[in-house]
Amino acid sequence: MPSEPHAPDAARPAHWQDVAVRYPFADKAAVGPVKLTVEAGERLLLLGPSGSGKSTLLQTLTGLIPQSIPAHVEGSIRLFGQPVKERKPSGWAATVAQFFQDADQTLCGMRVEDEIAFALENRALPEKLIAQKVAKAMRRVGLPEEWRPRRTMTLSGGERQLVALAATLAQDAPLFVADEPTAHLAPEAANRLHRLLMETNEARSVLIVDHRLDHLIGLVDRVAVLGNGGTIVAEGSPGALFRDKRDQLDALGIWRPLASFLDAELQKVGLAPADPPLAVDDAIRHLEGASSAIVRKARTAVAAFVAANSARPFEDAGEQEIVARLVAADCAPFLGPTVLRNVSVDLRAGEILGILGANGAGKSTLGASLAGLLKLKRGRREGAPGGIAFQKPENQFVAGTAREEIATSLPRSALRSDHARQVDEILAAWDLAGPQDRHPFELSQGQKRRLALATLTAGDRWPLLVLDEPLAGLDANGAAMMSKHAEALRNSGRAIAIITHDMDFALRLCARSVIVGEGGLLAEGPTAQLLFDAEILKRAGLAEPAIAPAMRWLERAPEC
Amino acid sequence: MLSALHPLGKLVVCMIWIAAAVLIFDARFQIATIVIAALALIVLDRTSPVLVLALMIPFALFGFGFLTTSVLFRQESNFALRMAGESLLASPAFSAGITLFLRAIACGMVSALFALTTDPGAFVRTLMVHWRLSPQIGYSLFSAMQLVPDLAAEAQQIRLARAMKRGRPPRRFPGPFEMFRLVIPLLAFAIRRAGRAAIAMEARGLTPGAPRTVIAAPRFRRRDLAFIAIALTALVLCISWARSRG
Repeated sequence: MPSEPHAPDAARPAHWQDVAVRYPFADKAAVGPVKLTVEAGERLLLLGPSGSGKSTLLQTLTGLIPQSIPAHVEGSIRLFGQPVKERKPSGWAATVAQFFQDADQTLCGMRVEDEIAFALENRALPEKLIAQKVAKAMRRVGLPEEWRPRRTMTLSGGERQLVALAATLAQDAPLFVADEPTAHLAPEAANRLHRLLMETNEARSVLIVDHRLDHLIGLVDRVAVLGNGGTIVAEGSPGALFRDKRDQLDALGIWRPLASFLDAELQKVGLAPADPPLAVDDAIRHLEGASSAIVRKARTAVAAFVAANSARPFEDAGEQEIVARLVAADCAPFLGPTVLRNVSVDLRAGEILGILGANGAGKSTLGASLAGLLKLKRGRREGAPGGIAFQKPENQFVAGTAREEIATSLPRSALRSDHARQVDEILAAWDLAGPQDRHPFELSQGQKRRLALATLTAGDRWPLLVLDEPLAGLDANGAAMMSKHAEALRNSGRAIAIITHDMDFALRLCARSVIVGEGGLLAEGPTAQLLFDAEILKRAGLAEPAIAPAMRWLERAPEC
Repeated sequence: MLSALHPLGKLVVCMIWIAAAVLIFDARFQIATIVIAALALIVLDRTSPVLVLALMIPFALFGFGFLTTSVLFRQESNFALRMAGESLLASPAFSAGITLFLRAIACGMVSALFALTTDPGAFVRTLMVHWRLSPQIGYSLFSAMQLVPDLAAEAQQIRLARAMKRGRPPRRFPGPFEMFRLVIPLLAFAIRRAGRAAIAMEARGLTPGAPRTVIAAPRFRRRDLAFIAIALTALVLCISWARSRG
């Protein structure tokens, strides 16, 4: 039976009542018991640490769990007042548009045009109407017309995510569910899509899971937080939650928007705004026109906040040896055509270099070329080979358990007892002791990412490390862990290149960056300068970091 | 030009021509088939002649097996010929072997003509619309077709990751040992992909037995009828020519 669109009525769009999910052979529930409601027209953000069961909970919504993915589900789940189990998962497609964590889970492997039309074809809509809806969805998401005949699997990770979003938006369902929709998107595209997803519409409710909060948080109505035990531990309006439950969220390893950190600093000096801020601008707006005494007091707080979120300058750059260098290089993906021309860049010991750019600009190709893993089409590379943490961590795994994966990445010469001890230490350092005996493919996205980084940084084999989107899938604790390890590696003299879409992360960790775009390097220099060059950011399809208003305020505010 | 034709029209013509190549045991007919198919690809579809020649290689190797069997093992070749159901044109084993050799290439070229000029997606859509192929099977075929290049891309990623562990760039083509080591991870990838595709399709409303629209399904046009008429006329002429010389 084709699913009929469900007119949103007084009934709640989604309601979980004491729902708990346990996978076969698991010794404890993956999530639950959970009681959660999405109200009509509401935009609800669901947060939780890595592995807390957010994705599992979303998959119960239309019955994919347990009808397609085996699991034992307790409690009741209702969509628009109707028990979910009354229909097959496919029967809810016109009511619920689902965007899964991995774009490959949303896409079926067809051409871009077919992917976007697929759900509409399944509803037997007239061909003309489908064509209109496809064109509209492509325009809204900003997909170029020439992408229509392209196969989705030939697109980059971020581009696939855009297509998946267009396909989900085209469904025009009264309930939109998105699991990390912007994880691999460049800032400009991510901000645009956040606005698109969260635009006010009484006829549409949105349930979203996302870690990139800085531009999203101002658009949500309510936040619910899943704890490590898989139960809801906090719920409320975003402003109040991030101010009142700050310590609890930090303890759980849940991302907070930057404004919340600035709010905390201002609270220490008694100058926090009356209403909890959701953007950095909101946190300092009340300081405009304040007396010089207040500004002086606030300045220390804002300066501390900016310092904590800015990279340490790379001192004595000229004295450090060059670990890897590309000279007039033409870079191409493995067995692919040239995507970057005439690239010259070097990386010194003890330096963290940011590689920034829009989706599909060639950042991963540059990273792999820098590591010496891809043969150059022209030009030359100098330096020792480097290691890469790939965008898809699964590609790096070769062993049967997480523990073995780390054990095989350590030098074999160590004594067996030392070897075991080293493995234990690495597992503990990356918070992987719990799932150490599980197959790497069974881990959560965040755990997979941590395992891939742990194997790469174990031992001192590579003087150069390239980390491709290291934050994807990580919770705040995982990201902090990653930053700490990266800084420790830098301090030990290793060179690190970080490919990222998170401009604040780049600013915090990378003293220098290169911006990739237009088939080559658009710019190279200190990150703090590049990310405030509006023209370069526009050409590269990037956006300035969320911290920018605080930095500008500091420049304006008198020092004494 | 051939790419713009209706897939089913092309399929029917190609199947009829392959059936004729199997039934008509005449070297001249097989040569005519090869020349027509190759010319159609090169002239009408602008396929590179080098690619056409390269495509002939596996079929030529296959046909070469028939040729050697005919020439070196005459007794067995009689058996093989009887099994193939043809009557020899009073020629020695060598000419029978040549005909078998050409037949393998002819069938291969006709198949290549269809494969190179047909969009697999359009073909599957056509089957769903005209031959009532179930969408479940149709979209499974879609996924399977997409899986082949994706397996190659995944293999490249895994090779890069392993090359990194070895500390040197991967070779252009993997050796037999490296190929063997790729089998398990690629199998795991294929299973994961199949599972994900099934869930993605279900979540987006693919329901067994439900009415659904199929967009961009090719439509029969006059040019398809013209193509079928011209192709069948050419076939009849080739058969007549072969018979008249026989």
